[in-house]
Amino acid sequence: MSWMAPPPWPTSSMCPSFHGGAYNQRGLNTGLGMMSHQQQIAPPSRGSVNGFPHRKLDREGSGRHESKINLVRSSSGGFTNSENGIKLGHGSHSRDRLIYVLTQLIGHHVDVHVKNGSIISGIFHATNSDKDFGVVLKMAQVIKDGSARGQRYADDVVKKPETMIIPARELVQVFAKDVALGVDELPKGPGHDKRKDLLIDSAISRSHYLEERELERWAPDEGDSECIELEKYDRKGNRSWDQFETNAALFGVKSTFNEEIYTTKLERGPHMRELEKHASRIAREIEGEDTKDIHLAEERGLFLGDDLDHDEEIKYSAVRRDTDNSKYKPPFAKIPSSTCHVDSFNRTVNIDPKDSLACSSKMDEESSSHIFDDTDASATIQTNSVSQPTSDHLSDRPLSNDENRLDRKLSKESNENMDNRKLQPENNLSDGARPLISEGLDGRPSSSHAYEPSSSGQGFKSRETPDLTVSVKHPSATEPVTSSQRPGSSTSSTSERIAANSAASAPGLSPSSSIGSLTSEKSTLNPNAKEFKLNPNAKSFTPSASLRPPHPTSSDASYYYPNNMPAAPLGPGLPVGMGFPPAYGAQSVMYNTQPGASPQGYMHPAGPQYGQQMMMGGQTRPVYYYAPEMQQYRGRNF
Amino acid sequence: MEAGGEEFAIGVVISAKTTLGEEFEGQIVAFDRPSNLLVIHILPKSLMLLTRISISQEGVGRAERGERRNVRVLKANYIREFSVVSKGDDPLDPAGCMLDLNAIYAREDAALRQAEIEAERIGVGVTPEAQSIFDALSKTLPVQWDKTDIVVMKEVRVRSPYLPENVSGGTAAANERVKKVIDFERKRLHSRVPGQFS
Repeated sequence: MSWMAPPPWPTSSMCPSFHGGAYNQRGLNTGLGMMSHQQQIAPPSRGSVNGFPHRKLDREGSGRHESKINLVRSSSGGFTNSENGIKLGHGSHSRDRLIYVLTQLIGHHVDVHVKNGSIISGIFHATNSDKDFGVVLKMAQVIKDGSARGQRYADDVVKKPETMIIPARELVQVFAKDVALGVDELPKGPGHDKRKDLLIDSAISRSHYLEERELERWAPDEGDSECIELEKYDRKGNRSWDQFETNAALFGVKSTFNEEIYTTKLERGPHMRELEKHASRIAREIEGEDTKDIHLAEERGLFLGDDLDHDEEIKYSAVRRDTDNSKYKPPFAKIPSSTCHVDSFNRTVNIDPKDSLACSSKMDEESSSHIFDDTDASATIQTNSVSQPTSDHLSDRPLSNDENRLDRKLSKESNENMDNRKLQPENNLSDGARPLISEGLDGRPSSSHAYEPSSSGQGFKSRETPDLTVSVKHPSATEPVTSSQRPGSSTSSTSERIAANSAASAPGLSPSSSIGSLTSEKSTLNPNAKEFKLNPNAKSFTPSASLRPPHPTSSDASYYYPNNMPAAPLGPGLPVGMGFPPAYGAQSVMYNTQPGASPQGYMHPAGPQYGQQMMMGGQTRPVYYYAPEMQQYRGRNF
Repeated sequence: MEAGGEEFAIGVVISAKTTLGEEFEGQIVAFDRPSNLLVIHILPKSLMLLTRISISQEGVGRAERGERRNVRVLKANYIREFSVVSKGDDPLDPAGCMLDLNAIYAREDAALRQAEIEAERIGVGVTPEAQSIFDALSKTLPVQWDKTDIVVMKEVRVRSPYLPENVSGGTAAANERVKKVIDFERKRLHSRVPGQFS
């Protein structure tokens, strides 16, 4: 059979085939011996449809019809039409129904059976409602060729689909699947129409889609049985399928993935075990913490009380709705002033806008170095130096505010000792605090340094063991001040802090604390502390202001930590910037009890007793180093 | 036309055989005598059973909102034989039938677009085997037809008879990849239907 292009129909239009009047199916070619010759002008029987669509049709077809037929009016009742009602005949209503159905079919995939047994599949496009309902299919293909020519199921050559017209004479049947013949709900835009194409959720919920689909269990296509199962687990539960292997085998792709590029290199040295234990202990602590946050509680398995108001959004959404998110809240602003978080130490201290503190500038370094100098000087001078640095620092009045602030914060701690040093250290602290605070870690050492002279000058009254009890959780802010007060504790706390991955806040304090220790009578020497060992790798310290003799080994250490520096001796045993040093053990900075053993780089001999005190805590446990990015060692060099 | 009388009745459930050898059962939706077209909608199987068992007055329910059924528009003169199963109500609600031409046209456009996309995937004048290979390739790679050549990622060309040796062009990696996929697919196809394709 040959399907011909649609020649113009002699008579009226196809009922629903008007797309803006463009498509004009007029009639069938004579070649097929179809009704092309039938020129009868049957009363144009336009499908009458309800509502507005009909209007459209009318408009489109108006050119061609002289009259608008209202088939419905007669008896179908349902198909009311506002056009002039020319009754066609008693059978018109059934035709209306037919037309309705056919119109509904537009756009559907249909199979048209034709006389010779062929089946043509395509998208129903139009029908000649005036005549015998020839059918036009778009994108049609002969699926089953019933002609004598080919009894095969499929052609040996795949053909491209095209528009086909099936004359009514050939037409046997039009078979369409999944047609919604029922009352179409009022169109609701894409949701309604695309019911078949895309079932978006809103459409589904909107349309009372009552039809229940019969669900079939998924079965792989034939031939896919060789598919590798997604999960192949061996007895232990480990996946036995290595994607890299498979990829390499199948496609020759070599993987260049190196985990260490993306994360910190894990040093698996002799201390690994301890570090692991420590880390997991901390993890347990944190995870076992009680919390009021419902999300965290759920994660941890705590039951916060069943609040029926909590719908899923409250329970599982990450959106915070109770706080005011319109304003920017810098990270530190969230921290309570008690500065319980070490990492927020620097911020906390900065809460009072002291920009100088906030910014770590060269000046800070200078000042810190300056302070260091003082510190060192004082340190070296042992007892005598106390006064000297003090005087120097006394001049650093301007920062008193900071110190006050610091002190205030620190005072929140359970340090009774605080008050003592408040006065003196203030000046120093301010100066030192500046650089200290600016960088958190960095800041602290300097602050401690700052403290040092002053404290030395003043004589810290209460540097005693309580220092040792400074808990890890003390805000780093506390550290500087505290440590000044309690050299020993600072060390221990430092180590604690370090362990808790807190910025070694106290570094700065160590100097001061060491100074303090100078004057304090008590020996807070930690008997359990490891001995200080000289760190051969420590760079020698060269203070910019030569208030004190350059420290042989600790020079650079005071400013920055070389990567291999195990201990950032922030003052007495306050390692700053600890990472996980494999070499830590080797280079463990043992603060020797003798203050004189200064060249360890980090310990200022200035604080003999102090040195003793401080080393301890720090050395009793492995010091965990931050990734040594500390460029400035703000700690004290003893 | 035979059996004209009953065919008039809308809502009657009939079981019929066509001259082409098809059998079906469905409810009469419409019948147009002039054109001799019978519109039947095929009931879902469950309902068909129902109508057989219980010839209730309500018969087959109206097509629910959004419910879909298969529809046959059959020329009555091709009905070889039929029998009435039951009588039912009008499956269409005359008062509620509305046609949204906009939606219909949109649906048609969408269908056409979709069909065109699918048609793109079909090579003209290529063997079914080639088409299978094309389909298999298209699962993971962007492929196009160029006459009878498969063009992968616009670079690699696979000529007839679509063996790994016929792969050419593209970067070495892409080339290799296509070769491997073709190899794999061929093996799979052949193992699945041995001998179906020459």
